[in-house]
Amino acid sequence: MPTETLTNEIRLLRFLAGDMTQAELGRRVGLTRQTIAAIEQGRYSPSLEVAFRIAHVFGKGIDEVFRWTSGDGAAPG
Amino acid sequence: MAPLESLARFNLWGMCPAYAVYFAIQIGLPTWLTTTPERLVCFAAVTGVHAAVYLTGLALVKRKEQGEALLADERDRAIEARANRIAYFLLMGGLVVVGMVMPFNAGGWRIVNAAVFAIVSAETLRNVLIVQGYRGTPRLAH
Repeated sequence: MPTETLTNEIRLLRFLAGDMTQAELGRRVGLTRQTIAAIEQGRYSPSLEVAFRIAHVFGKGIDEVFRWTSGDGAAPG
Repeated sequence: MAPLESLARFNLWGMCPAYAVYFAIQIGLPTWLTTTPERLVCFAAVTGVHAAVYLTGLALVKRKEQGEALLADERDRAIEARANRIAYFLLMGGLVVVGMVMPFNAGGWRIVNAAVFAIVSAETLRNVLIVQGYRGTPRLAH
């Protein structure tokens, strides 16, 4: 059973981007506010294309926004 | 709440009680419900109630979401596709029983009601999976 989890820094990056709302981020990447909330809470893993779009909005690399960690906290090798 | 989830909840509220009453009547088969026209009227009445609740829900969702599409983004589509995929197998299983097994040992209204039960079960499962997809499922494969 895989124990890896996908976490993200979207909430922090929204705050650093002038407290951008979930709705505004959703509008810019083509998602609904509910889906942005689900991604932030780890209830939904976005497609690769959407992950790149989100990273692009914040001017970051995809690995700075999303992290894939194993159950023991280390990055899966 | 996402429009698709709202609509799925309305569909459940309209469908489950209505068809529960329908099947209870069909199993009990009271004396006022013995001829085919009477049974057809019973089915039409239940279907009418279901349709009325569903259409009311659709109108309310459309008004509340102000034009937002039911399948607005990839998550909506993934949740709906997963629900459809799983419910399809239940529908197929039910219709195989109804169409390939029951004709050899049953007939008439038993087959009709079994087909209705298969369809209602599949639709109920589909709506439950949509609600669960928005509320609980941690991840969805694309």
